[in-house]
Amino acid sequence: MNERISQLMDGELEDAAAEQVIQALGRDGEALQTWRVYHLISDALRENQPLPRAPLVPLQPRRWVALPVAASLAAVALVGWLAFSPQQGTTPQALVAEVPVTAPAPAKPSVLRVPLPRATSDYLLAHQGVSPRGSLQGMAPYVRMVSDQAQEARR
Amino acid sequence: MSAARAAIALLALSAGLAHAQSPEALAWLRKIHDATQRLSYTGTFVYQHGGWSEASRITRNAAADIERLEVLDGAPREIVRTRDTVKCYLPDSRVVKVDRRSADRSFPALLPERIGTLAQHYDIELGETRRIAGFDCQTVVLGPKDNLRYGYRLYADVKSGMLLKAVTFDPEGNEVEQFMFTQLVIGGVSRQQVRPSHAAREWRVEDTGAQPAHLAGWGLSAELPGFRKIVELKRVIGRSRPAGQMVYSDGLAAVSVFIEPMEGRQDPVQTGLASVGAIHIYTREVANHMVTVVGEAPAASVQRIGNAVEYHQPQR
Repeated sequence: MNERISQLMDGELEDAAAEQVIQALGRDGEALQTWRVYHLISDALRENQPLPRAPLVPLQPRRWVALPVAASLAAVALVGWLAFSPQQGTTPQALVAEVPVTAPAPAKPSVLRVPLPRATSDYLLAHQGVSPRGSLQGMAPYVRMVSDQAQEARR
Repeated sequence: MSAARAAIALLALSAGLAHAQSPEALAWLRKIHDATQRLSYTGTFVYQHGGWSEASRITRNAAADIERLEVLDGAPREIVRTRDTVKCYLPDSRVVKVDRRSADRSFPALLPERIGTLAQHYDIELGETRRIAGFDCQTVVLGPKDNLRYGYRLYADVKSGMLLKAVTFDPEGNEVEQFMFTQLVIGGVSRQQVRPSHAAREWRVEDTGAQPAHLAGWGLSAELPGFRKIVELKRVIGRSRPAGQMVYSDGLAAVSVFIEPMEGRQDPVQTGLASVGAIHIYTREVANHMVTVVGEAPAASVQRIGNAVEYHQPQR
């Protein structure tokens, strides 16, 4: 179930499967608690992510590493999830208080890397039509909205 | 004597400025602009970013002003643009997305008389000549004057001005994405060649219903230097999500801010940053609305605009 919840947060579930998990959250107090804890962890990580700026390592300079919640959770699990979660009376707040240990506080505000929104192709369709660049290049930039990546985001 | 010296210094300075925005380079941008509107052509081009690359075919009939783009790999997705509509055919989900473009001058095109103003934000220079897909091409470089925008290297056919290749690079000079024709024929395009290949009779139609609007109460606490608001629209995202759209541009690059009410949303909102090619997408929540900023600009610029979005209850 925990894995399903994490997949739901990452937007990896089909509509029907997502519906099932959401219904389970309504029925199952423990699942709902997990959902809340995952969000708290995700929020805490978001506040403690180093800002992905110009790459320091020249290898793969153009490959942004997306940081889905599942991967972040895996990282947290290494340092503390198993140790903390089963203990009675451990509140999510106590758990989150431990999370910042995994990442040194950055000087700049940070941002979480997330997968492309499901509506990416709709946003791109709307955006491309108002971009002045089209006047120099015709409709070639529209290819982004039908690109494999934008289409995969819809699933 | 000192006045003469000052005049010489001034001359030298203006010569230096002229170098950064040479009349020849601006004339080349106008030539590319003109070719984009005037020529009929059909060709195969490759869109590359990161490790991805995808081949498409673009065909344009200038007399009818219709352009058609087909993706050549995978499902045959297709976009057909006429003077006033853009239709996107997605065969795997049997959906046609329709965006209507207003024919009036409020449509934010780059007008030829505005090309000179790009020199405020870009150093525009001619580069080398190079052969691409059998065409001798002139390079025109638009280097960003700050780190808030991307730069562009454009390669255009020396004879016709047709754009054969466009590379987007970040302020550090790293390539972000590129479009390049690998084969191109100019002229001789029939009406039949720009007709959509899908009849799409039973398909679901998603009309964006875009129209100019005033989004009362919404704005930016601080604009990004060089980017000003060029248009405000209302539209539908996907099947039925009402959204506002504010567009900011420096004359070439654009950043859209989409504003959607949170009420009645099915999927959970994921706040954070994503990207596809040179486009960054940044999502956050403001005043019980989901704000999605989509822009062809460095991540920091898209985030700055996103973080400046604010809502004030309009005064009655």
